[in-house]
Amino acid sequence: MKAATRGGGAVAGRAPARPARSMVWLQGLACGALATLATPLAVLLGVLLLPGLCVLLLDRTPGRPVARTMLLCGAAASVSPAWQLWDHGLTMANSLDQLSDFLTLGLAWAATAAGWLLAEVTPVFVHLVLEGTSRRREAELRAARSRFEAEWGIPPADAEKPGA
Amino acid sequence: MPALIGGRYSVDFSVPVPGAGGGVMAFIARDQQNAASLIALQISPSAPSRAHAIELIGKSAIPGLLLPLAEGVAPSPEGGEAGFLICPAPPGPSLAASPRVWGERELLDCVLRPAAMVLEALAARGVTHRAIRPDNLFQNGAGEPVTLGAAWAAPAASLQPAAFEPPYAAMCHPAGRGEGSIADDIYALGVTLLTLALGRVPLAGLDDAAIIRRKLDLGSYAALIGDARLPPMIADLLRGMLAEDPAHRPPPQLYLDPSAARARRLAARPGRRAQRALAVGDHQVWDARSLAYALARRPEEAVRLVRGHYLDHWLRRSLGDAVLASRADEVVRQRSEMPVEDLRADAMMAMRLIAALDPLAPLCWRGLALWPDGLGGVLADGLVENKELAAKIDDFIAAEALGAWALMRPEHCDVTALRQTAQHHRMWQRIRGLGGGLPRIAYALNPLQPCASPLFAGRWVARLTDLLPALEAVSQQAERRRGEPVDAHIAAFIAAHQDGRLGGDLGAFAGEAASGEPQIASLRALARLQTALSSIPLPGLAAWLAERAEILLEHWQNRARRAEIATQLKRLAQAGQLLPMLALFDDHHGLAADAQGLKQALVAVAKIDAELASLRDAAEERRRRAQHVGHEIALGGGMLTLAASVGWLVFG
Repeated sequence: MKAATRGGGAVAGRAPARPARSMVWLQGLACGALATLATPLAVLLGVLLLPGLCVLLLDRTPGRPVARTMLLCGAAASVSPAWQLWDHGLTMANSLDQLSDFLTLGLAWAATAAGWLLAEVTPVFVHLVLEGTSRRREAELRAARSRFEAEWGIPPADAEKPGA
Repeated sequence: MPALIGGRYSVDFSVPVPGAGGGVMAFIARDQQNAASLIALQISPSAPSRAHAIELIGKSAIPGLLLPLAEGVAPSPEGGEAGFLICPAPPGPSLAASPRVWGERELLDCVLRPAAMVLEALAARGVTHRAIRPDNLFQNGAGEPVTLGAAWAAPAASLQPAAFEPPYAAMCHPAGRGEGSIADDIYALGVTLLTLALGRVPLAGLDDAAIIRRKLDLGSYAALIGDARLPPMIADLLRGMLAEDPAHRPPPQLYLDPSAARARRLAARPGRRAQRALAVGDHQVWDARSLAYALARRPEEAVRLVRGHYLDHWLRRSLGDAVLASRADEVVRQRSEMPVEDLRADAMMAMRLIAALDPLAPLCWRGLALWPDGLGGVLADGLVENKELAAKIDDFIAAEALGAWALMRPEHCDVTALRQTAQHHRMWQRIRGLGGGLPRIAYALNPLQPCASPLFAGRWVARLTDLLPALEAVSQQAERRRGEPVDAHIAAFIAAHQDGRLGGDLGAFAGEAASGEPQIASLRALARLQTALSSIPLPGLAAWLAERAEILLEHWQNRARRAEIATQLKRLAQAGQLLPMLALFDDHHGLAADAQGLKQALVAVAKIDAELASLRDAAEERRRRAQHVGHEIALGGGMLTLAASVGWLVFG
């Protein structure tokens, strides 16, 4: 109401922006339901996704892209164990049996690590690509300027601003 | 093979002819076409020959006169070049070579009648001689008629002793006596007759000022004859010939019959004499004429006499001339309208006072006396040798004193013509920079004066057609090629000698030179000269101009075009044609296109610079974007992996 008053007529007709609703409670509800209704599965997934969940708690980057990537990769490696638990019976023994399999746990955590590596390396790679493009454009521009300088006797850019 | 003057005359410098030149150095000259006996008169650069007289009588045949045959340049005995005037050689020695007392009959038959015939012929052509004196009259033998010597190689009357000139000419600067009138020749002839009748030069031993003062005090006749006894016929003739007012001297044709001339008498009223003398400097003056002369010599005395009211008192009380006193009062009143400390106004007052006191007197400005048509001669002298004199003339022209002087004596001159002349001189003087000032006036008034440019040291360039060959020769000397080929003297020389073919093209000369582009001004002037006057290639001068014009190439901003123009300039310079070189710099369309191209290039460069700056400034943004996109890609990769894993489990 206050914004509408300040913004004048052009802004007054717009609907006021709604604040983004947090989905954390829904996630917490889902996790709680999972822990209550399928405790072995929750334990299995909790252990397999433990590194990603830890990073999720520690990551302060908006949107937590690293943690999310790690969780997605970890989840990809956890689909098969979760399915086997479901298939062999949703019991704590089966869950612990799965967790005691070094290959299952290692594969899940390795996938999580791969997700972390992916999240860290991809921006660097993209930055390199963007910088390379920029440098190439800059070289083209400098070459064009040099041609103008040679053709018209225009002073070089650094000669125009000796103090720069 | 020495250069021939006028294409046919050569000068033999090993055989000087003393006394044959009427006061200038003379050498034997030879005609390549016949065996005529000739002399070559050497002209001084500061005393140019009489172009107007030479033009008027050059093709004439006047018996009893050494006429100019040709005028040109030859190597001088001192080295370098000099101007020479070719004349027939005198028929015998001068009358001054063997002084003696001449009889009446001999004077009339051998001197008066032949000289009068020559003067009549000259008067018919509007020319004066102004060099009649015993050492410039030549006789083949006793009883033969005399021949008048050459009088064309120096300003009119500039070589005449004071005794042979009327006092109003003698008091002038030697080069400023002007062409005068045929009456002045009658006066000189009269003094010559007197000299021959006496067997000696009258007033010998007196200096010029004393001679003039004596003539003004006593009158020329009384002053020159003194106590001498002359034959009555000669005395009567001399009384008319030596009249003070030129209008009272009989014309030449009257002396063809001396008896008729003797009978013609005009009574001139003697000047009023004061009861008491007026002291002007060291001299006592008794009449207005003498006072005018005294003030002409010492103009600062005029200020003293006016401010102390001595002049007015003397004119009214001692001289008793109320009319003259009122004229002087008017002059003083005009002076009082100007500031007291104005020195030019003092000079103007003195000049007007002199003209009021003696209307027959010449123009007197700050101690310099001259006749208006003698200004050219004085200026030539001042420009070449006497800077103080040049400064006086500069001031004289700036004040347009000629017009003011004419207004003071309207019955003796053409006021309108003289005022227009003064305005012309002032206009030329006010042209600043090249092509104007005193040199312009000097060359305009002395058509045969050689160009006094330092570039032409040792050379004699008196005609426009000689200018380009002389510059071509100068261009071969590296030490003289440092400056512009057209300096102030050359510009003034060109401007003064330009004719209809050059007028429009040279009109912009001063403007271009003043706008800081003397190179294009020089090139334009010389190119037009080459086109109008000569088609001879001038590779040296062209190379010189090309060197000087290299700076003008900077008008082209496009470097490729500039290099192309430079190449063309060098090629054209080698060909020695100046007009195509000028066309290169006069390509206004090309220059406009070049300027437009530069403008577009600057816009493009500005865009490039802006984009480069934005690229530099966007580094942080790129880093942030790379982070965002990288994370999005990683997320996408994770989701893809998850989807693949689920798909493999479900379908695999």
